Amino acid sequence: MNLIRSTKDQFQFRLGGREKRLLLDLLKLYPCLPVARQPLSKSGGLPDQETAQGLLDEALAEQRQENRRQLQALLADPGRFQEQETGWRLSLSPADLEWLLQILNDIRVGSWVRLGSPEERLAQLDEKTAPHYWAMEMSGRFQMQFLEAMQGPN
Amino acid sequence: MAETAAPELLPGTIQEAEEKPRSNLEPGYMVICWNDPVNYMDYVTHVFQVVFGWARRKAEFHMRQVHEQGKSVLARESMEKAEHYVHQLQKYSLHATMERDE
Repeated sequence: MNLIRSTKDQFQFRLGGREKRLLLDLLKLYPCLPVARQPLSKSGGLPDQETAQGLLDEALAEQRQENRRQLQALLADPGRFQEQETGWRLSLSPADLEWLLQILNDIRVGSWVRLGSPEERLAQLDEKTAPHYWAMEMSGRFQMQFLEAMQGPN
Repeated sequence: MAETAAPELLPGTIQEAEEKPRSNLEPGYMVICWNDPVNYMDYVTHVFQVVFGWARRKAEFHMRQVHEQGKSVLARESMEKAEHYVHQLQKYSLHATMERDE
């Protein structure tokens, strides 16, 4: 995937056919992170922490619903991917890109959690772990390319 | 610089330390980001810039603190604001919590 053009309002990327399929297959994995994964506080010294935790979980669940709806709309939008002679052109607004970063990171961290949250790189993969490892690595790769595009030339 | 005079006490008066309940609006809560081995350093820097509106240099400083020291205190805020920031950081799947600033 290469950035071919960026303006204040739009980023355009060129993807090969396999890259496009890879990105779409990855995005279909969303959401990956378990619901209510994180505590609001580690020490637990907050007033009425249970209520606050409930509100946080609720807000994150709503966010996830909204992300899923937005993702379905993006995947169904025929104008997003335009076929070119050499592959596909993907057009995204800065807001789309920011939001896609969250989606990809959910897939990356969620896949890592499914691998058992390893501290080190896995020494060996098997049938069970390979798909999660693949999703973690691939989502990270797209994330980095989107980040580079957003940061521009240093 | 002049020193502040100590308040005079009447004989027999016992001065008690005044303990005020911490208001939800006081900056009594720390927003902390914890290290994990999965989030990319560039991604963490980017999220700090977006969520707190920081310049890249400041965001990188805190990202390095997370990476090298295991955590970084990103803000000291009222309870509501700290909750807001934790929500924003968790939305980006970062490992963030809020703790009482004691």
